[in-house]
Order: sequence, then C-alpha cells, then structure tokens
Amino acid sequence: MSILAQQLVLGLLIGGLYGLAAAGLSLVFGVLKVLNVAHGELIMLGGYAAFWTVALLGLDPFVSLLVVVPLSLLLGVGLYWGLFGFVVRADEETRIKNSLLIGFGLGLALHALAVLLWTADERSIVTPYGGSITLAGLSIPIVRLASLLIALALIGGLHLLLARWRWGKAIRATAEDWQAALLTGIDVRRAYLLAFAIGTGLAGAAGTLVSIGYSTSPSIGLEWTLKALIVVVLAGLGSMLGTFVGGLVLGVAEAASAAAFGGPYREVVGLVLFVVVLVVRPRGLFGR
Amino acid sequence: MLEIRDLDAAYGDIRVLSGVTLSVGPGEIVALLGPNGAGKTTLLNSIAGLLRPRAGAIRFEGEDLGALHAHLIVERGLALVPEGRRLFGGMTVGENLELGAFAPRARPTKAAGFERVYGLFPDLYQRRRQLVRSLSGGQQQMVAVGRALMTNPRLLMLDEPSLGIAPRLVRSIMASLAEINRAGVAVFLVEQNVQAALGLAHRAYVLEAGRIAGHGAAADLLRDPHVRRAYLGPLAVRE
Amino acid sequence: MTHRLGGGERRWALAILGALALLALLPAAVPREDVINFVFLVLLSITLAQSWNIVAGYAGQVNLGHAAFFGLGALVARTLWIGDTPVAVAMAAGAATATLFALLIGAAAFRLRGAYFAIGTLALSEILRITVGNVLVEISTLPTATIGAYQLTHRYYVALGLAALSVLAVAALAGSRLGLGMQAIREDEEAAEASGVGALRLKLIALALSTGLAGLAGGLFAFYHISYYPAHPFSPHWTFDALLMTFIGGVGTLHGPVLGAVLYVVLKEYVALRWVDFHLLIFGALFIAIVLLLPGGLVQAAERVRRLLAP
Repeated sequence: MSILAQQLVLGLLIGGLYGLAAAGLSLVFGVLKVLNVAHGELIMLGGYAAFWTVALLGLDPFVSLLVVVPLSLLLGVGLYWGLFGFVVRADEETRIKNSLLIGFGLGLALHALAVLLWTADERSIVTPYGGSITLAGLSIPIVRLASLLIALALIGGLHLLLARWRWGKAIRATAEDWQAALLTGIDVRRAYLLAFAIGTGLAGAAGTLVSIGYSTSPSIGLEWTLKALIVVVLAGLGSMLGTFVGGLVLGVAEAASAAAFGGPYREVVGLVLFVVVLVVRPRGLFGR
Repeated sequence: MLEIRDLDAAYGDIRVLSGVTLSVGPGEIVALLGPNGAGKTTLLNSIAGLLRPRAGAIRFEGEDLGALHAHLIVERGLALVPEGRRLFGGMTVGENLELGAFAPRARPTKAAGFERVYGLFPDLYQRRRQLVRSLSGGQQQMVAVGRALMTNPRLLMLDEPSLGIAPRLVRSIMASLAEINRAGVAVFLVEQNVQAALGLAHRAYVLEAGRIAGHGAAADLLRDPHVRRAYLGPLAVRE
Repeated sequence: MTHRLGGGERRWALAILGALALLALLPAAVPREDVINFVFLVLLSITLAQSWNIVAGYAGQVNLGHAAFFGLGALVARTLWIGDTPVAVAMAAGAATATLFALLIGAAAFRLRGAYFAIGTLALSEILRITVGNVLVEISTLPTATIGAYQLTHRYYVALGLAALSVLAVAALAGSRLGLGMQAIREDEEAAEASGVGALRLKLIALALSTGLAGLAGGLFAFYHISYYPAHPFSPHWTFDALLMTFIGGVGTLHGPVLGAVLYVVLKEYVALRWVDFHLLIFGALFIAIVLLLPGGLVQAAERVRRLLAP
C-alpha cells in the first residue's frame, strides 16, 4: 500500500511540472487563439539553457531560473514578432489551423537544431544537494519537492499578474473579447505579444525544472507538448490555478495507471483521458 | 466634428454601405435610424476602426481615421458602445470600468471618470465588485455606457442601447445620455426605438439598404409620413 | 483553391503515370541495389503522401494520426505473412484492418473541429504505438527461409504498383462527383451541408480511401523490411513525413505530393549529416514559409513562375 502511495506522491511531484508546462500553452491559446504545438520544444530549449547556464556560469541550478526565464521571455518576443504575430492576422478558425501547422514546422526545426548543436544525448543537471525528507512514511525527494513548490509559486505569481497588473487585466480582456478590448483602447497586439512572451517564459521555467529533477534531450518536445495539451483539455481554458490542478491530476493518474497496468502504460492513460474528454466534453473540467 | 463622406463598406464580396455621407457636430446628439440589415452596425464598426472601409473618408476633428487601428481611434476621443454590449463577463463591474480608462488619454482622468460614471449610475457603485456576467440586461447596458465614458470621449457612439432593455430603463438611459451630452460629449446614436431616439436627438439620418434615405431635424422626422409609416407604425408607443 | 481535374492536372497525371511506367524498366536497366532501394523509398513516400493528401487536401482535415493506419497495415500484414498467408492476401487484410479501424473512430473523430481533430488523432496514434510497443517488444524478423528467398525487385514492383494506384485514386477522386463534393466541404462546410452535400458521409469515404492506401503502404513496409520493431511503423514521424511532403509539394493537388515526396527523399539522402536529420531543419523552415506565404506549396510557386515567364 505504501508503495502505491509512494508512486502517487512521485506522480504528484511531476504533475506540478505538467501544470506549469500547460499554463504557458493555455495562456497563449486562451489569449491569442493560437495553438503552438512547438511549446514542448520551447520547454526543451529552456532545459538546455538551464543546463548550459549551470555548466558555464556555475550557478546553482535553481538560480539559473533567473537567467533562463528572461532569456525565454526574449525568445517569446522574437517568436511573436518573427512568426506568430503574422498568424494572428487571420480569423480564429484559420489562426488555429495555421498555428498548428506552423508550430509543427517550428518544432521540427528546433528539434533538428538542438541535435545539431548539442547532440541527441540526454542531459541532466546535477544538484550539489539531494536526499529526501520523510513524511508519513513516504520519501519525498527534496529537489523534486522544491521544483513543485517553485512551479506553484510561478503559477501563483502568474495568477496575481493577470489579476492585478494593468496589462494582466488587458490580457484577460483580450482573451474574452478582443474587439471589445480594442474598443476600450487596449492595444491588442501588445497584449498578444505580452501573453506570448509570458507563455514562452513559463515554458523556459518548466524546462529548467525538468532538466534539474529529471533530464532533457532534443526529443522531449513532442512528449511535453502532448502532456501540456492533455492538461489544457482536461482543465479547460481560463484558470491558471485550474490548469495547475489539472497537471497534478494527470501526474497522479499516470502514477496510478503505472501501478495498475505496469510502467510502460504510464503514458497511455493520459492520452486515453485526453481522447475521452475531447469527445465527451471539449471544454474540459474547469473551463467555462 | 465627425465627417463621413461617400463611405463604401463591404464584408468580403457583400457590399453593405454605398456612398454614405453624414456628419455630427460638436455638442450634438445625432440619431441613425433604419431597418434591420440596413448597415447601421457596419457603419459604426467602420468609424470605430473594426472594419476597413472600401472607399470614402472618415474624418474626426479634422483627422482622417481611415487607416488607424481601433484602439488609436479611442485614443483620439471617439468611443463606441457596441451592439450587445460586449462586456468582459468574467470580470467585475469595477474592472470593466477601469479597463475603460486604459488608453493614455483616459488614464489621468480615471478618478474623475469613476465619479462621473457612478454619479450617473449609482446602482453600479454598489455592484462594483460583482461579476458582470451576473447583472441584468439593463445594468449591463449601464456598465457598457460607463466603460465607454471612462475612455474620456469627445464623441460617444452607441449601437442599439435599448435592445433587450425594459422601457423604464430605456427612458433612464436616454436621460443619462442627455446628461452626458449636456456635459459636452457629442452623441451618435443608432437606435431601433425610433420614438426614444428622436425624442433625444437634435438631428437624425435614415439608413436604408446601405444608403442614406433621408435626414433632418428630429422633430421634422417625427412628423414625416414615411418615417411614421415605416418605423413608428400604428402600435407606436406614445410617450 | 480549385482543384478539379482540369487539363493541367490531367497532363500531370499522365506524365507521372508515364514516369512510373518507365521506372518499371529500372531494375533491368540499372541492376544496382542501392539505386533500387532509393527509388523504392521514393515510391513508398509517394504512396504515403498521396494517401494523406486525400483527407487533408480533399476533405480538408489535418489527420495527425496517419501513422496508426500505416502501422496497423504493417502489423496485420506481417503477422499473417509470417504465418504463411500469401503476401497479397496479407497486405489486403492489413489495408482492410486499417480502414475498419478508421471507420470505427471516424464518426466520433469528425465531430471534433479542426485542431481538436488533429491532436485527437495524434493522441490515438500514440496510444496505439505505445500499446503495440509494450505488447510486442521483440524485433520482428523474417524466417531464414524467407530471407533466403528475398527478391528486392518483387518489392520494387509492388511499390511501383502502389504508387501508381495512389496517383490514380487521387485522380479519380478529384475528377468525380465525390471529389467535387469534398472540395465544397473543404471550402465551406456549412454551405455545403446546407446544400445537401452530406459532409460526414463524404469525409468518411475520403478517410476510408486514405487509410486503405496507408494500410497497403504499411503492408508493403512489412513485406520489404527483413527486421524491425513492430511499434516502429506507428511512429508519428511517418505522419509528419507525409505532412511535410504533401504541404511542401502542394496540398490538395494531384502532383504536389509526388513532387514533395521526391524532393524530400532526395534531400534526406544527400543532405544528411552524420547523425542529424538536417533535412528536417530545412523542411521545417520551408514548411513554415509555405504555410505563411505560399499555402499552395511548390505547385503554386511553379504556377506563379510559369505565369511570369509565359505572358
């Protein structure tokens, strides 16, 4: 019994990262109505940025977030200006289709680029500290716990940003009704840019935490895009905290299915849930 | 103040407006009447910058608005209360109003704007923390007008503000518009409720099938037989 | 984008079929294994791309689960063939399985709007891949006797036949009432429904045709390879390859996917660096450019060039 509980706890810990990964995708999709399926590759890049920041600057792995997140924000600005800014010129239906295709091409290119630059080997950031704490008979790895807490903090911060910051409110307004936002005097393109940059920043943060607690390699992109998509569909759009909880749910569900059907089927439960929710309730569990 | 000359507008291949010419002077209340599908909303959307016209000119206080993005038009002092209100349902009354003061022109006057809006619509002050989704139609209309007022406009345009609102509230909204006008804001009103519109306005235009079919002083139009037959009918509400 | 089988496309169809007919002479003219293998790959790619093109180009839906049908075709064909069923029957059974599966999920799948259909089909395909990979962990290798009797040219001619079949299928579709109906759906689904086109039925027909061909291609894969992991044909990269080839060539056209396939395989063979899928970097970038700037792909580009040169 406690083995199962142990597995569930580990599932919860990675679930936090699923939630963080999904938050960026959800923000971009909710505001811009753009489905960037290269989101996983952005996470992958974040992981590599963290790896090299630690390797070259000798920073503490978690402190590397302070470097990776700003870099990711800048990357987001670049990607918006260079690419997705053009996609938003079309109507919603076309936007989603084009962004799916463009995201696909971008993902392929980034994957190939990563292999070219850094080889296909897996990289992991080793922390000088480790070990676990014991709680109620369960062993909780400290590094992964710290990652979960950081992810939660970032989500909380995002929530506050959207609720209190002037442009955060503008972003929410744009997500609800971009024409009404224009009529209120909001520069919707600027709102799009900010949302996309923040989304990319979140991806970078997620990637950093992934390469600290787990590992990164050029091919994790597709896997993480799917995870993020599953969580977004489970949780629906519109609530960052709901998305985070959706991530936790996925993590625990995966752990439960691995315990029930064996390790290799861990991935399947998420995908099956995904398909079921898509067909039965496209708005997700939390979304409006 | 607002001058529209020979405006043509279309959605794809469908021509909606042809050669529309009209004007709104400072301090005026001008109404635009016409049947459903005549193009009234298209006209307002074109002026507000949501739709690029195919031909013609739109000038506001001497400046050509043609190529400006909608939020920049708001920045010039021209605000639209769109049809169906288009509020941010997931946000509170206060937040919706606050967003109205988003543009640089309106930020310095935000506090004064709140005072003005809550003064006009005291009901809203009590509900300022309530989600807009949960308000009644009339209350939502007040928020919509208030949000547009927060942009500190010199000209306020409204698209069918009385739609779906109880008659008592319509009178109240018209009265508020009169008060807004007295404070120096010009008003351009598209209205289905011809009686109410002509009761409020100084002048009015009639738009039929994308063209201006008539215009004149409101009082004259009220007496005009064509207008009476087409828009007032035997069941017209007598005030 | 109107893609009736007009004069231009009819000429292309004939040209391509003619080229394929000529290629029948290849094994005799150039009896080099590496050349035959290369052309085989091109032919398989043409089939894969054309099969994907049917749903994307003519029914207007981006199917990201195409590998599922390729994989099912391979799985069933391989299992039956190793179990002593004649290969033709095995391949047919593979195609039938793929089509059956497609029709089973089709009605539910087509309820999903554009992007959701795409990611939903991707999820389905991944579910299959992971499950097959867990159930059939071992490499599938042909029995020694079969390896001894292996003739490359047999595989080559099957590939040639399949490529021709896929081109003919698209040609027949484009020129038929079915094809016109599908095109109407692609351009405006609501209007088409209103005028009685029966969108779902047409989409299901397109899906059946597309997955049947993909299943046959999978069967060919099973026939061709001496050993492979059973989950390999379920890998999404088969879908992505088909997507890239079709889009870059020109989705919804007859000759676009053929051109795209040829270009793709050539690039893959000659630009490959040691371990990098460098051709993917180029194709990824090219793909983005095409989606943004030239949705009709190379076919559209060629059209523009031709119009520039011939006043």
